[in-house]
Amino acid sequence: MTAISATNLTKRYGRAEAVANASFDIAPGEIVGFVGPNGAGKTTTLRMLAGLIRPTSGSATVLGERVPGPVLGEVGTMIEEPSFYPYMTGRENLRHAAALHGSVPARRVDESLEFVKLEQAADKRVKAYSQGMRQRLALARALLWHPKVLLLDEPTNGLDPTGIAEFRESLKQVAATGATVLISSHILAEVEKFVNRVLAIDKGTLRFDGSLTQLLAQAGGQAVRYVVKARDVQALLAALTDLGYPSTPAGADSVEVDVPQAEADDLIFRLAAAGVRVTSASVSAENLESAYLRLVGVDGKPS
Amino acid sequence: MNVVRAEWFKVWRKRRLYILAGLYWVVLPVLILVVARIVFGSVGDSFVNEAGAVDATMQQLVSPYGLARLLLVGPGYMSPTFYIVCVTLIAALLIGDERNQNMWKTVLVVQPNRVAVITGKVIVAMLALGVLLFGALVAGLLFGAAGTLFLPTAVAGGAWSELVGLYFLQWAFLLAPVLLAFLLIFVVRSGVLGVVAVLFLPSLLEAIYSVLSTIAQLQPLNRINAVFQALRLKNAWESLPQYFFTANLYAPARAPTQGLASAFGEELGAEFGSELGPVSTLLGSGITLPHAALVMAAYAALFAVLLYLAFTRRDVD
Repeated sequence: MTAISATNLTKRYGRAEAVANASFDIAPGEIVGFVGPNGAGKTTTLRMLAGLIRPTSGSATVLGERVPGPVLGEVGTMIEEPSFYPYMTGRENLRHAAALHGSVPARRVDESLEFVKLEQAADKRVKAYSQGMRQRLALARALLWHPKVLLLDEPTNGLDPTGIAEFRESLKQVAATGATVLISSHILAEVEKFVNRVLAIDKGTLRFDGSLTQLLAQAGGQAVRYVVKARDVQALLAALTDLGYPSTPAGADSVEVDVPQAEADDLIFRLAAAGVRVTSASVSAENLESAYLRLVGVDGKPS
Repeated sequence: MNVVRAEWFKVWRKRRLYILAGLYWVVLPVLILVVARIVFGSVGDSFVNEAGAVDATMQQLVSPYGLARLLLVGPGYMSPTFYIVCVTLIAALLIGDERNQNMWKTVLVVQPNRVAVITGKVIVAMLALGVLLFGALVAGLLFGAAGTLFLPTAVAGGAWSELVGLYFLQWAFLLAPVLLAFLLIFVVRSGVLGVVAVLFLPSLLEAIYSVLSTIAQLQPLNRINAVFQALRLKNAWESLPQYFFTANLYAPARAPTQGLASAFGEELGAEFGSELGPVSTLLGSGITLPHAALVMAAYAALFAVLLYLAFTRRDVD
């Protein structure tokens, strides 16, 4: 059974086609980035998955059941700007959502507030919250009933770097519970750190569905640029030279290395086999972003 | 039940409901008692009260029973009536707030059963109105009892079962305006515009009818009459006011004074013959309570169908 499935999902507003024949399946436990420029159709797709708008044609299922339907009780959402009743406190907003849902134990309100580190501000009215606090409260609300599926629409919009880092940490913890997460963003770099698959949409059409390395390949890149960190940079450089990968130091403990597309997924194993203790490795954001832009084109115009 | 619980929780966290309750439960009865005391102070010892007319009037209006009844009946005579103001404000809070605060996208994912959502909201609106009316009833009894200390009134006397009946009747009659308010606020996609529409649309439509009726009776436009006659619609057109929304909505509140007017009308009728023309309607021989109940039930059914259709089918922007 798939966690999320879309089959020829289409939404038209008059003559304008917001989403055209989008089809994809997301397996339980997957964390998928849904990227595309502003106005590409991300929010419309998420709204259809959340049962808020009806597709003009096609269908969507969540946990095997058609949406809209009772299955949405297993879904947590953050769609666009987080919204609350401003005259209620953060805690009251969560209590209202819990009552509306109907199967949320009372202790979950406090647990969720604690999870997003909002216990101190829980009894302040929401209208006094900063943007970051509102985002965290929205995440707390989305997690109230331990959803099996999370639909997050640009959840880091308006957050400062610290807020983004904290949000990312929270999301990693949620993902560790086995929840399926579909997270949209118009900036690939924002999601590439915790997604293992990317759906790229542009002008309502799904342009790409695959892993980050596949994205680089499809966008025409011959090699994947990694940023690798190791305790012993000299040993790392030597091992990379032995493996035949061109590399350059990129700081005190990190090295940038271009790995041929076909071998990209095995880089860490090869380095470990060569006796290098790698502390972290990630696809270069610059490399990914340029691949993504080649795919959708600058300003959303296909290249 | 989940929606009812959640919305009940929400509705009492909004200050405007307390302001409404304060106006209805405290300011209005205090104002009535102050006016009564001034009137009694002015004419209580004068010749006007020689036959006890002022005392009797005070007992009718500001005794515990009288004041409670006045608080249920009085709002129906304001313009726009206090009832419709309460209905609109509560509806705006329960359904307009979701649009104003962009909350539909949250509410309808947390509780995807739209029929349950809208039903729960209507139930909470009716419960809140029930509390407001009940509070007015109790406030009338309490302030009326306080009034016995400085006014020639007594706790005893009064048709208490009729008072309870009036309470339930007035409350039940508010279902149609609640559904209309929900419908308009949801359909026009604006809390403010919806509130304005609820307050003035029924009156506006009825005013248009009056204008058309007047025009139809003008000589150069007698063709309209001719068309009505040809289509046998003249009687239907003339009986339309019997089915007007506002005329029927306040029937319970206006019934006590209507009874008085009818009695007066009967006396006049006996004196001048049965043909009193439009005067008979003015005197209250028009809308009866059972008729009004049927009309309001029909309105409620119509608004409910439209509301449920609109609410369950519309996309959430």
